[in-house]
Amino acid sequence: MRFLVVDDSSTMRRIIINTLNKLGYEDVTEAGNGREGLDRLGGEAVDVIITDWNMPEMTGIEFVRSLRGSSVTKDIPVLMVTTNAAKDDIVAALKVGVNSYVVKPFTPDTMREKIEAVLAR
Amino acid sequence: MTATAIEPQLVTELADATREVFRTMVFRELTDGPRTERAAVQAGANVVATVAFAGKTSGLVAVYTTFEAANEITAAMLGIQPADVDGELPDAIGELGNMIAGSFRTRMAAVGGETWAISVPTVVVGKDFYTRYVSDVQRVVCPFRMGPHEVLVELIVTRTR
Repeated sequence: MRFLVVDDSSTMRRIIINTLNKLGYEDVTEAGNGREGLDRLGGEAVDVIITDWNMPEMTGIEFVRSLRGSSVTKDIPVLMVTTNAAKDDIVAALKVGVNSYVVKPFTPDTMREKIEAVLAR
Repeated sequence: MTATAIEPQLVTELADATREVFRTMVFRELTDGPRTERAAVQAGANVVATVAFAGKTSGLVAVYTTFEAANEITAAMLGIQPADVDGELPDAIGELGNMIAGSFRTRMAAVGGETWAISVPTVVVGKDFYTRYVSDVQRVVCPFRMGPHEVLVELIVTRTR
């Protein structure tokens, strides 16, 4: 199982990767924004994407919209990890194709539940 | 020390958000100190993260620590030893401030229906500096202890006219 973690904060990328490692997911690649994420997907197969919302160059919403518009990436499960917890934000994210939503701060148990839920689809 | 004029629920929710972020993302339990209203200076702090919020209520959340505490927080967040922290401190403390302000915003939306926008975090690292605000604001400081270190979280609210 290969994960792509997209976040402009190197700290958050490391926290998410550490959490994934604790959950037994060792194969993780990373990118600093949506544009870099798309570049990674051009050359690597990925099973699950975990992305931030607020990022420079290409936001998480723009990134997911781009993913859903490509025949190659349209079915990859996407979790969004963000502090944007307003109902309107969550609805907007789900509308563009985000499969599940993790609000920061989060626990490893929450991350496990969300990952298992998107993989069970 | 004087009683704060800031709505108590704001302070309670900010303190709870801070404890939650430290417990889940820094893996440290904070203990409480007495809350105080201060005019300006945070003596002893040399790392400050600030995040502004705007909505029906507007203001700023600021997190103050010593460099040593910030280094320990950074190491804990990254899962490394404090001696191995190498340039990651500003991003980590900025993310800490972002999560505290974000959780605070979520809590206030849940209890009061307030919807706020928050800014990207700003981090200042240095010494012999203090913060002042030129506009008419109310400030309250929530002092915490993380082991031997003091962590101060300040709420600054623009006065309603």
